[in-house]
Amino acid sequence: MRPSYQDSLHIEYRYTSMEPLHGVLDMLVLRTLLFGPLHGYGIAGAIRDGSGEAVQIEFGSLYPSLKRLEIQGWIAGTWEISERNRRVKVYRLTPAGRKQLRQETSQWTAFVEGVGRLLKAPGKESA
Amino acid sequence: MIARWRRLLLLLPWRRRAAEQDMQDELQSLAELDDLADRRELGNLTLAAEDARAQWGVTWLDDIGNDVRHAVRGLRRHPGFTATVVTSLAIGIGASTALFTLIDAVSGRLLPVADPQRLVALAQQYETRTEQGFTYQQFQRLNEQLTGMTLAGYSHQQFAVSVTGGTELPVEGELVSGSYFPLLGIHAIRGRLLQPEDDRPGGGNPVAVISDAWWAERFARDPNIVGRVLRIGNTPFTIVGITPPGFFGVEVGTAPRVFVPLTTQPLVMTANENLIESPIQFLTWVRVLGAIDPPASSGQVRGQLDAIIRSQDWQPPDKNGRRPHTTGVLMNVSTGRSELGAKFSTTFMVLTVVVGIVLAIACANTANLALARAAVRRPEFALRLALGARPWRIIRQVTVESLVLAAAAGAGGVALSYVATRALVLFASAGQSAITLELTPDMRILAFATIVSTVAGLAFGLAPAIRASRASARDNPLQDIGTTRHRIGAPGPARIFLIVQVALSVTLLAGTGVFVASLRNLLRQADGIAAREQVLTVRVAPRGSDQRNTPGTSERLDRLYRGLQEEVSQMAGVKAVSMSSVSPLSPLTLGGPVDFNGAKVVVRIMMVYPSYFGALGLTITSGRDLDARDNDPAAPPVAVVNRAYVRRMLGGVDPIASGATIPAFTSRGPAGTIAPQPIAIVGVVADSPYPNLRQESEPVIYRTFLQTRTGRGQMVLHVRTHGDPSSVARQVRALVQNVDPTTPSFAVVSLADEVSATLIRERLMAMFATVFSGVVIVLIAVGLYGLTAFGVARRTPEIGLRLALGATGWDVYQLVIRHAAQVMAIGVVTGTLVSWAAMRLATSRLGDVLFGVRADDPAAFAAAAIALLLVAMAASLVPARRAMRIEPISALRKE
Repeated sequence: MRPSYQDSLHIEYRYTSMEPLHGVLDMLVLRTLLFGPLHGYGIAGAIRDGSGEAVQIEFGSLYPSLKRLEIQGWIAGTWEISERNRRVKVYRLTPAGRKQLRQETSQWTAFVEGVGRLLKAPGKESA
Repeated sequence: MIARWRRLLLLLPWRRRAAEQDMQDELQSLAELDDLADRRELGNLTLAAEDARAQWGVTWLDDIGNDVRHAVRGLRRHPGFTATVVTSLAIGIGASTALFTLIDAVSGRLLPVADPQRLVALAQQYETRTEQGFTYQQFQRLNEQLTGMTLAGYSHQQFAVSVTGGTELPVEGELVSGSYFPLLGIHAIRGRLLQPEDDRPGGGNPVAVISDAWWAERFARDPNIVGRVLRIGNTPFTIVGITPPGFFGVEVGTAPRVFVPLTTQPLVMTANENLIESPIQFLTWVRVLGAIDPPASSGQVRGQLDAIIRSQDWQPPDKNGRRPHTTGVLMNVSTGRSELGAKFSTTFMVLTVVVGIVLAIACANTANLALARAAVRRPEFALRLALGARPWRIIRQVTVESLVLAAAAGAGGVALSYVATRALVLFASAGQSAITLELTPDMRILAFATIVSTVAGLAFGLAPAIRASRASARDNPLQDIGTTRHRIGAPGPARIFLIVQVALSVTLLAGTGVFVASLRNLLRQADGIAAREQVLTVRVAPRGSDQRNTPGTSERLDRLYRGLQEEVSQMAGVKAVSMSSVSPLSPLTLGGPVDFNGAKVVVRIMMVYPSYFGALGLTITSGRDLDARDNDPAAPPVAVVNRAYVRRMLGGVDPIASGATIPAFTSRGPAGTIAPQPIAIVGVVADSPYPNLRQESEPVIYRTFLQTRTGRGQMVLHVRTHGDPSSVARQVRALVQNVDPTTPSFAVVSLADEVSATLIRERLMAMFATVFSGVVIVLIAVGLYGLTAFGVARRTPEIGLRLALGATGWDVYQLVIRHAAQVMAIGVVTGTLVSWAAMRLATSRLGDVLFGVRADDPAAFAAAAIALLLVAMAASLVPARRAMRIEPISALRKE
């Protein structure tokens, strides 16, 4: 976490959300788009449904993540016409995003496995 | 990497706007989605947009951007401060940029030709001088014998050009060899340039190439220019092409408008003989350029050149049958050839120092104002530090503010220098042939201005920044300024900056005094008739006047000249008319060093017509003027001499009384300038102050036109007028032009203008220094006023208390003025000592630009110190009076 000072007189810093979670959120978005293009709200819904409602992400928190991924070149947005004849901006995974997802997935898996090993490691509990 | 690049792209305003619009559209479209159960499910869209925008930012750039915006806002709120700082800095930056532009234009820019680094100029080094020119025959020989080098010749001349058929002012032009344009790698923007076939010996093609500038100026960019005919020296020349914009040959400061083949010399230089085929004189009129062709080396080429110019038949021996010792010279001319650099080198050095001082003073002044501002903002900084801002943030913000100021001043400075350089060049060209320099600000100049501005910004911003960051977080941010709880006295660094300013201005003011005194001395020296009265002069060079040895020419020219003088004397407003071989201001002369009692004395010989002394205001002190009867080769040879001649050659004895004659000198000057038999002296005339204002007059012998034997027949007409000379000038011009329409006619100028033109360097320095002294005095006054006023504002309650306790107005006055007085005293003393020492060291270097005054002139320093003290008193008087009028009660009520 950043130091909590605020340069109150002329610059307003806002920290979008808790930074360590950025990576996870990005990974979830990329993963979601692996199955096909979606618009912003659709992505939020897909994450919620896909996680069995375990991960609830408000669109407002998701949206900056989309913009970040877009500027990194991992996802690309295009304007399309939805089935209900509406103009919507739809995001799809780019080849670079696909690569990034693979990398992050393996890192995440390694991380989770490591944490799991730690938790399961036999040891004496101190009395 | 990609992300960083995209973020930078998003800094472009239009891309940013597009991205913003796209985002708004997207959020809008989502809000209108039909499958949205509840609008609230989306959350706070404004916040989402805000957070999304943060993803676009380049953090440090954004921060700086914020600092810049904040600085601009803050500076806008203090227009007085901002205007003062920006103006004073802009003057400093503008002056240095202008000077850099000039020095760069004279000697820094590469020639606008294909491969300037390859170009060399050829010259001959004599024992005492360098001869830049060659005769046409010598040029031809170099062409044949100098292998390993491609050569081109050119000659800068005034052409009598007529576009419409009428008479027109002479036009700068160049005769160039056929190899000239190919060697320089220049291609026509229209038509073709001159080729070797145009330049055959025995009659070049009458074709001309004109410059882009002249095409625009004289022909309004006529699309059918190629094929048009103009007359040069009364011969029709066909225009075949146009040189590219910016091309001026290799002579920096010139702007030739017409280029013709070298071998058309007899057609365009009608006052001269045919220098291509039958050289009677040894006239070195061709300048030679070359490029070494690999594999030859410059050493080999120089060896060849030496061998050629040392050969027996390279040049005629002098009258004693000796051959001067010469060597070949190869000069790098990648930045062009110019006499300007040598002529103005000391001037440029002096101006660099002046400009440096002005810039330093402007910086110190700004630092001072910024310090005061930082002191006023101390509570703000303290508040921010208290809220957790790191000192580094404050330093950065104050520095950014300084740089914003410096950037504004830099922009103003570049604009100022753009105007100033043009004005300076115009000023430097006055009364002489125009100096044309390429002064468009290029990358180098903009880079220079940027560096100067940045350095200045950092220099004046550093102290306030550090000071601001030291504002203690424990300071009570709400504590107001102007209570007795504040530390008393002006901030220390502010005083140091003021001392530096005062010390530097002593140097500048004293220097100004010295330059002005020197100029005044010179002007007093020049204060002959030329400076006081309107004497118009114009060169007259009719056809054939350069070869008066040809039978009959002398008589023809004499008839022509007498007729011209007769006609001019009939004009209304003309007081006196005469002619002489050269202008009295010209250092050119007939005659030369003669052997006198074993020593060499330079004796000038002037050909004049009767009443020359009357027209130029020189009094005859003894004997008589030359008259019409003396202008006869058959009459007894006579002369008038000046007093310097009597002093130096006759031991001060009046020749009229003693009957002394001018002996038959063995002259080393041009052949036949002095008659073989003794010449009777019929009069003695006062010394003319010209042309050497700085030296004692040289001995001069005045003789009549027809009694002087010389090849030169060109003369200068002098017309002394009363009333407004402009209408006389017009008529004289028309008359002179009609003398011979085929030769270039010269501009009619007044002698006073010519005098100013000879003092151009002195006037430049005096003018520059005076203007900047004024600026500096204003800056000092502002600084001292600020220091005192600031002290009074801070100490108002204290002063109130003192007054309430019985202090008198005089006590208060002393209290308030003490700091200003201290600063002045220290500044003036250190400034005087340091700059006096510096000037003593510079005396020898400045010797050739100063006259009748030394660089360390004590009077100038005393005057500078007194002037500064007066300024200081005046500047601190206003706030001091305010302090004396402080109402004790209202002041204490503030507590």
